[in-house]
Amino acid sequence: MPLTSAFSIPFSRFDIHKMWSLTDITTNIHDWLNETFSPTWVLIIEMVIAGIAVIGLFAVLGLVLVIMERKVSAWMQIRLGPNRVGPKGLLQSLADTLKLLVKEGLTPGGADKFLFNLAPIIALVVAMLLMAPIAFAKDFQLWNLNIGVLYVSAVSSLMVISILMAGWSSNNKYSLMGAMRSGAQIVSYELSAGLSILTIVVLAGSLNIPDIIYSQADGWWIFKGHIPALIAFVIFIIAVTAETNRAPFDLAEAESELTAGFHTEYSGMKFALFFLAEYVNVFIVCAIGATLFLGGWMPFHIGNWEAFNHVMDYIPSSIWFFGKTFFLIFVIMWFRWTFPRLRIDQLLNLEWKYLLPISMFNLILVTAIAILKWHF
Amino acid sequence: MFIVKYIKDVFSGIKSLLVGMRRTGYYFTHHKEIITEQYPDNRDTLKLPERFKGEVVMPHDANNEHRCTGCTACELACPNGTIKVVTKFDITPDGKKKKAIDKLVYHLELCTMCNLCIVACPSDAIVMAQTFEHSVFDRAELTKILNNPGSRIMDGVE
Amino acid sequence: MMNGSTIIFYLLAALTLVSGLLAVTTRLIFRSAIYLLFSLIGIAGIYFWLNYEFIAAVQIVVYVGGIVVLIIFSIFLTQQAGEQLPRPTMGRQLFAALAAFCGLALVMLQLYKHNFTGTDKPAVEPTVANIGNQMLGVEEGGYALPFEVVSILLLAALVGCIVIALKKDTIMNKEHGKQNDEVKER
Repeated sequence: MPLTSAFSIPFSRFDIHKMWSLTDITTNIHDWLNETFSPTWVLIIEMVIAGIAVIGLFAVLGLVLVIMERKVSAWMQIRLGPNRVGPKGLLQSLADTLKLLVKEGLTPGGADKFLFNLAPIIALVVAMLLMAPIAFAKDFQLWNLNIGVLYVSAVSSLMVISILMAGWSSNNKYSLMGAMRSGAQIVSYELSAGLSILTIVVLAGSLNIPDIIYSQADGWWIFKGHIPALIAFVIFIIAVTAETNRAPFDLAEAESELTAGFHTEYSGMKFALFFLAEYVNVFIVCAIGATLFLGGWMPFHIGNWEAFNHVMDYIPSSIWFFGKTFFLIFVIMWFRWTFPRLRIDQLLNLEWKYLLPISMFNLILVTAIAILKWHF
Repeated sequence: MFIVKYIKDVFSGIKSLLVGMRRTGYYFTHHKEIITEQYPDNRDTLKLPERFKGEVVMPHDANNEHRCTGCTACELACPNGTIKVVTKFDITPDGKKKKAIDKLVYHLELCTMCNLCIVACPSDAIVMAQTFEHSVFDRAELTKILNNPGSRIMDGVE
Repeated sequence: MMNGSTIIFYLLAALTLVSGLLAVTTRLIFRSAIYLLFSLIGIAGIYFWLNYEFIAAVQIVVYVGGIVVLIIFSIFLTQQAGEQLPRPTMGRQLFAALAAFCGLALVMLQLYKHNFTGTDKPAVEPTVANIGNQMLGVEEGGYALPFEVVSILLLAALVGCIVIALKKDTIMNKEHGKQNDEVKER
C-alpha cells in the first residue's frame, strides 16, 4: 500500500465549501469567453487578463509595502515617518514612484549594456512567475499545478541570477562584491528554507497548494504539528529573510560597506524595478509561509468545533489570506528595524552550523510524527 | 559537553533576539513620545538644548556696555583665525590712555563652534548663542562685528 | 494550421536553440553562461509544456539554480572575466563542428531506427506520489537500486569535499595543538 494514502484527510466532513468564493465569477467569465471566441483566443485573452491583474497587483503591492515599511520603521524608531504628501503621508510612495519614473536611467561606461539592462527585467519576471501558484482566496489561483510548492522554491532560485547579472555587468567592484555575497547567501539559505517547507509537505502529504490548504481545515499546521512545526516556521522565516536579502541579512546591499551593493549603478526606472522586485519577493515568501504554516485563506478553525468554525467562515477568505500575509510581512519588517547586520562569517555559520542541522533533525522528527499520526 | 552548549547557544540567541524585538515592539505600540522635530513648522516652539553652540555673540547690557577688555586671548585661542580683535586707546577721565576694543571681527564662515574662545576669555565677554539659521545670500554677511556701535566697556571689568 | 499550443512549443524550441547557439559562439564568457541559462530554462519550459511539472521544477532547481550559479561563481573567481576571449583557431572550429555534427547524426540515426510503438493506455499521471513510489519501488519498473547507487555516489562526493576542505585546517590545528602541549609541558 502506498504511504501517501495514510496522510489523506477526509475533507468532506468540513463545510468550507459553503464559504463565499470567487469561483462563480471566474467560471462565468471563462464560460462567456468560450462561447464568444475560439479556444486559442480564449487562452490569449485569459493570459492577458492574468498579466494585467498581476501587474496591477505589483503596482499596488509596491506602493503599499513601501509606505508600510517606512511607517513601521518610523514608529519603531520613535519617529513620525512620511507625513507630508497626502493624508498622513500615505501618498508618499506614489510621489517617489513619479520621481523615479522621470529620472534618467544611466548606464555606466564599461558596463555590459545588454546584461545590465536585462537584469532588472529578469528580477521582475521571476517575481511575476512566482505569483502563479499562490492562492489568494478560496479557489482563486492563477495556475493550480500539482507541484506548487516545489515550483515556488525552484523559480525563486532564479532570483540570484538577476542579482549576479546586475552585479557583474555594472563593472563596479561594490556591485560585484554585493553580487558574490548575495549568491553565497541565497544558495546556502535555500537549503534550510527548502527543508522547512518539506516538513509541512510531509505533514500534508502533497505539494499542491490547495491540497495543503485543505489539509488545514481542522487547524493550521503550526498548531497541529506540535513543536517541530513551530521550529520549522521559525527557520522558514529566518531563511526567507535571508533569501530576500533583507536586514539583518542585507549583506548584498550593505549601505555602510558597499554603498548599495548590486544595484549601486542603477538609477531611475531600472532601480525601481529592483526595488519593486524586492518587495514583491517579500510578499511572495510571506504568502508561501502563510499558506504552509498558517493555512493560507483557511479561516481559523479549531478541530471539529462546528459552531466556532462556522462563525469564522463568515470572514471572506481573501481577508484571511492577506491578513496572515501582511502579519508575516510585518514580522519581517520588525526584524529589519531591530537587528544589526550580520558579518559574512556569522551569516554562513548561522546557516551551516545551526539552521541546517536543526532543520534536518526537525524533518526526521516530523516524518516520525506524520507516520505515527501523532499530529492532530 | 558539546551538545548542551550548542542547545544553550541556540536558546540564548533566540532569547536575546526576543529582548531586542520586545524593545522595538514596545516603541511601535506606544506611539506617544516622538523625537522627530518638524522644524520649519515648529520654529516658535522649538527648544534647543542648553549646551547647543550656534554662534559667538557678545552680550551687551542696557547701557550698551560689554565686558570685553580687548586682551586678544580669544584671538590667540582660536585654531582657525575666526576672531580678529582690533584695539584702540581710550582716554580715561584722569587723562590716561587705556586699551579698549574698536571692533571684534568674527568670521562665522570659518568658525567650527569649538568653544575654545569662550573658555579662553578671562572676563566672560563672549558666549555661545543658540541661533542656527545662518544661511545668507552673500558671503560678506557672515563676517560680523560683535560689539555694538558706540558701546563701551563695563565699569569694573579689568 | 497552428494552434496556440504549437506556437508555444516553437517559441520554446527557438529560445532553447538560439540561446544554445549564442552560448557557444559568444566570446564573452559570462554572457555565454547566461545564454546557457536561458537554454536550460527553455528546456524546463518544454517540460512544463508537456505537463511534466515535476521534472521541469527539478530541471530549474538542479541546472539553473545549482549548476549555472556554480559556473557563474567560478567565472567570477577567475580573472579577466570581462575580456573578450580570443577567436578559436580554424582547426578547432572545424573539429568542434564535426564533433557536434557526429553527435547530432548519432542521435538522429537512433531516433529514426527506433520503432516507436504507440499505446492506448492512459498516461500515468506524473504526480509526486507516483514519482516517489516509482523512485523507491523494488518491483518491476522501480528505481530503488539506481537511486541508492546515486545517493552513495553523492555521499562519497560530499565526504570528499569535506576532506579536501578540512585538510589544511587539521594540519594547522595539529601543529597548534602540539605547541600547546609543549607549552603545557613547560
